[in-house]
Amino acid sequence: MLDVWKKTQRNNERPRMLGRNDKILYKLLLLITIISASFVILIAVFITLRGILPFITDNSGLGSVDLWNFFTDTVWLRGQTFVSTAYGAGFLILNTLYIVFLSLLISFPISVFTAVFIAKIAPEKLAYLMRTAVEMMASIPSIVYGLVGAGVVLPIIYNTARSLGTHSSGGNSTLAVVIVLAFMSIPTITAVSEVSIRNVDENLEKASLALGASNIQTQFKVVLIAAKSGIFAGVILAVGRALGEATAVSLVAGNSRSGPNFGLFDITSTITSTMLQGLKETQGIDYDIRFSLGVLLMVVIVITNVLLNLVKRKVGKLHG
Amino acid sequence: MGKPQKVKDIFMKTITYLGSGFSLLFLTITMIFIFSNGFGLISFGLFTGDYHAKYYAGRPASVECEGCEVTDELKGYYSSVYGIALYDDFDRAGNVVIKVSYVHENSPLLNMLDTNNPNQSISLKVDDVVTRVAFFDQPSALTRNGASMMIQSMDQSTEIRELTFSTLGGGIRGSLITTLYLIGMSLALALPIGILTAIYFSEFAPVNRLTNLLRSFIETLTGVPSIIYGLLGITLFIPITVRLNLSQGANLFAGAMTMAVILLPVVIRTTEETLKSIPNSYRHASLALGANYTQTVKKVVLPNALPGIMTATFLAVGRIIGESAALIFVLGTAVKDTVRVNESSTTLAVHIWTVMTDEPSNIELASSIAFIILIIVLILNIGVKYMSYLINKKLRGVV
Repeated sequence: MLDVWKKTQRNNERPRMLGRNDKILYKLLLLITIISASFVILIAVFITLRGILPFITDNSGLGSVDLWNFFTDTVWLRGQTFVSTAYGAGFLILNTLYIVFLSLLISFPISVFTAVFIAKIAPEKLAYLMRTAVEMMASIPSIVYGLVGAGVVLPIIYNTARSLGTHSSGGNSTLAVVIVLAFMSIPTITAVSEVSIRNVDENLEKASLALGASNIQTQFKVVLIAAKSGIFAGVILAVGRALGEATAVSLVAGNSRSGPNFGLFDITSTITSTMLQGLKETQGIDYDIRFSLGVLLMVVIVITNVLLNLVKRKVGKLHG
Repeated sequence: MGKPQKVKDIFMKTITYLGSGFSLLFLTITMIFIFSNGFGLISFGLFTGDYHAKYYAGRPASVECEGCEVTDELKGYYSSVYGIALYDDFDRAGNVVIKVSYVHENSPLLNMLDTNNPNQSISLKVDDVVTRVAFFDQPSALTRNGASMMIQSMDQSTEIRELTFSTLGGGIRGSLITTLYLIGMSLALALPIGILTAIYFSEFAPVNRLTNLLRSFIETLTGVPSIIYGLLGITLFIPITVRLNLSQGANLFAGAMTMAVILLPVVIRTTEETLKSIPNSYRHASLALGANYTQTVKKVVLPNALPGIMTATFLAVGRIIGESAALIFVLGTAVKDTVRVNESSTTLAVHIWTVMTDEPSNIELASSIAFIILIIVLILNIGVKYMSYLINKKLRGVV
């Protein structure tokens, strides 16, 4: 950035040295930037507008969807499709949050240990190898994770459930979704954690070592604590992605129509997997209700994000 | 250092090794699964073949095959009466089929009367699947009898009443073309908008609230799940394309617009980072030579940002190839063999979803497509690394 320019930028003025051509370019660029920025508003407005339609119209004679029922009911649809409008997504919210929480239980420790390993413990060559591996994991598309889940995880879960004497629907289960989401979260949390671990002030480390703490002690009790804010940011990012993941989840969920499904070997469904169900018709209430689910998904993501950010601020304050 | 501390240290160290071991294990399992399941189907025909098999039934016009004695070793079993060789194999859905491995140039099966359309003549080609051969004087030979039985029956019989066969099917040509179209169209939209926005932020934006607001809006796009973009495509872009008379329903234009919105934050962030890494001395030099700001941006800033723009392009292509949820909504899930930009069709990733949600699901074909996707993603990753190497080299040269 130009210093002369930067000065005018700081003074909250338009650059004064612009000639006529420059002004045209400036305006054009501003316009395009506003267009780029407007998409997030377009998304919110258009999807919300269509998402509330089932609640305020009578859906061509079927009656409107009950909002309270939609948020609390434990059965996706009571009655027949295109006949009834008694939609309920309460159990989907619970399922989604439950699944994401469980997947975090797996991915969080693995990711943090991997990040410490890459940043501090591994020999240089091994660290390079692991970093490349994490980058590769991050670039694998989600549908491929879904495919691996369907091809590898489902048979294992099916056989495990059988040997435990319980039943699982071909392996489609809460556990399968949890494992697939954990797979997908690991690169995100690891990459962000590794950067924040490496950015910890070196003096902190040296001070700890000088006080007689061993290297490992320092990494876990000083560096990790100092990096916790960054690690938490990685967790927030991963949770956001896991909440919104659709295709991979729908391939291994089994798509239950009622819930909540807390059993590990029971079939389940999330907000996103329900949105992908039965896309044969592209009109009518059963299609439009997807937009309501989309709005619900955005609301869940925003609320989770805000809550986690509050926690992050609290956690960041602990230990100075 | 006390002994208990040493034990603790070794324990914690082992745990970090285990943690990364798990990460590596997950990656290895993914790779091994995709490669072992997908490699079997990778062939030239997979890329060029139709997904939907075409079915034919025909009757040979003659029973003579002159000079059809073949001495070479042929795959499977050879009928010197009809001049074709058949062998047992699996199709791309894993079903047992009888395939044609060789057709002699004088074979009567190259000139058959189409049963469904008597004026037309059809011919059997290599790699076609023969499902039934019916005769006048003996029972039909079917797939379940095997290739050797079928050839034997053909040789023994005096005349073929009807030969039912189909093309192999299960190819991905349509999805491949759609993916290429989508890459071209989405980049054509996303790159100009993204690069110009990045130039605004890096070179022109004043430090004020509006800039911060615009920036935070664009950053929010990163956190929006792709399935939500799919809904945006349905409510906004498909109606726009329909209004413009480009299409009647789901179409590639709307898909490209949706993809462009998804790509915007990636393109903007990557390009802006590169623009910021260009030393100010470059700009000063240009201005000191009398160039105005527009010329400076065009002739000095942009050319130096080229590796960054390439990086953005690679990342964008990777995102397009891997995107599934949004495109399921905007492009539909029906696999097409003839791709038209104003109709629905599937990309490679959506093709995986389609074959996995079919009954029964086809893990082999899905893995083959995933294999192709992974190879492309791998190449793109190497491209990104090379570009960042170029940028670093350039900057080192300046300082």
